[in-house]
Amino acid sequence: METPIINVEQLSKTYRVPVRAAGLKASLRSFIRPQYDDIAALRDVTFSIQSGEMVGLIGPNGAGKTTTLKLLSGLLHPSHGSVEVAGFIPWERRPAYLRTISMVLGNKSQMLWDIPPADSFRVLGEIYAVPQAEFHQTLDELVDLLDMRELLTKPVRNLSLGERMKCELTASLLYRPRVLFLDEPTLGLDVSVQLRLRRFLADYNRRSGVTVILTSHYMADVTALCPRVLLIHHGRLLFDGELAELARKMAPFKQIRLNLDTEKNNGDLPLPAGVDMVERDSNSLTLRVPRAESAGITARLLQTLPVVDLTVEDPPVESVIDQVYSGGEL
Amino acid sequence: MNLRSSWALVKGLWLSWLQYRSFFFILAFGWMIPPLIYMLVWYTAAGDQGLAGFTRGEFAAYYLVLILVNQITFAQTNWTVGDMIRTGQMNQILLRPIHPIMDAVAAEFAGKLVYLIFDVPIVALLALLLQPQMDFQALNGLLFIPALLMAWALRFFWGYWLALLAFWATRADALLTLQDTLMFLLAGQVAPVALLPGALQTAAIVLPFRSMVAFPVEVLTGRLNGTDLLTGFAIQAAWLAAAVILYRLVWTRGLRHYAAIGG
Repeated sequence: METPIINVEQLSKTYRVPVRAAGLKASLRSFIRPQYDDIAALRDVTFSIQSGEMVGLIGPNGAGKTTTLKLLSGLLHPSHGSVEVAGFIPWERRPAYLRTISMVLGNKSQMLWDIPPADSFRVLGEIYAVPQAEFHQTLDELVDLLDMRELLTKPVRNLSLGERMKCELTASLLYRPRVLFLDEPTLGLDVSVQLRLRRFLADYNRRSGVTVILTSHYMADVTALCPRVLLIHHGRLLFDGELAELARKMAPFKQIRLNLDTEKNNGDLPLPAGVDMVERDSNSLTLRVPRAESAGITARLLQTLPVVDLTVEDPPVESVIDQVYSGGEL
Repeated sequence: MNLRSSWALVKGLWLSWLQYRSFFFILAFGWMIPPLIYMLVWYTAAGDQGLAGFTRGEFAAYYLVLILVNQITFAQTNWTVGDMIRTGQMNQILLRPIHPIMDAVAAEFAGKLVYLIFDVPIVALLALLLQPQMDFQALNGLLFIPALLMAWALRFFWGYWLALLAFWATRADALLTLQDTLMFLLAGQVAPVALLPGALQTAAIVLPFRSMVAFPVEVLTGRLNGTDLLTGFAIQAAWLAAAVILYRLVWTRGLRHYAAIGG
């Protein structure tokens, strides 16, 4: 096995945040003697990522996802543990390292606001010292992939959110970084733009072999792009593996949807033991059954109920994730 | 330092500013007004007999040079650095493969050229109207260049380290405002330093503010003798060294703090 491009060992990050009660007296007191609380944002996290992987970093708000990305990009010092990316120690912020990585923060822009993207790209190309020929080739390729040629000459401030995100992605890939950190890249975008960006990222990852770590609250981003997920909650790494595996582990049950024949359905439903009713809408039912018994229960349901249509499926990822987020355990 | 990257930053700023050129000319005009007012006050007060060793024409010369020097040395970015830290914009700058101070230096350089396009013709026009007098000597002209460069560097680094206090305090701007007030009093703006009363004059000479504006003006207008020149340069160099050391110190500490608490 080759050496991983990202190696994180026992990484912890504790923030010191000023605390202060409400009111004038309390603020005066804290002005004279400020008090701090130690908040553990990340605790003892260990993982490694191979070159070319696309990994989804998931977890509820405040779980430590952005902290992880900031530690990896060198914006934060770790409190404990070690991080190594492409052979560099991120927080040393060596120029060679900063040319190796790229970070897109969904809510911050690296574009120059008042000028057309084409000019911003040129400036960024110079900052990253990209040779002219390579610059034009890369830009052409990205512009085609994202289908954004007509945006190049409009001032950034006149672009829509989706158009701006296309520009951000182009800007972040102009110098062909080896590692790309994406923090909520699809935040606030409409469904078709989300789809388009997902297709682009998958495509670009295949072509260039860039390693991607992506955080998102949209599970669709993660299911579409990331064969592997890291689940962080309360600063701890709860799960590292395939999303399907997470679902299996989290949800040891299957979901059965039934459509019943209305005329024969007299309202009284003899359900076998171990079956939970999730939803009932006159003649259609959603049931939850233990994974191991799903075959037997399905057979019994077919015998006892006037079934018109039946499907057996895994529960939706969202509901699995919701279970982890609200329960906080695995 | 990467020259190509810095030049790219300068070009990027020019491109941005070209979108709203009038705003910059209005800003440049705003910076010019206070010294213009002081000049007219002193110019009138001097009358035909002169005042405190200055003739009318000498006041005009002093202030016309001061308008240019003030503009060239004005540290415009210091006001924006604090905002960038507070709003998290600093993150983007820290992720670039060039030193973050280059962002401010590039803005300085880009700005100065734009302002001078506006200032030089106005000062030239005023010079035609007000008939400034000064005893110009080639040596003074030559010494003016290092004095001006050091004044710019001092004012820049001094403001920069104050602005970097935003790493800790949420409103470090107050210190910049205080500095502006001291500049008004002690940097030869409200009156040439030679005209200030005793204690204030000593304070002006010892503190860094005169070195930031008035000193190069006095050098060029030939108001200093050999000893004054030497002490002036020595004080300027000492404050510049102090400002650079303070900047380095505050930058390293501030960045460590920033990296500890997160942007």
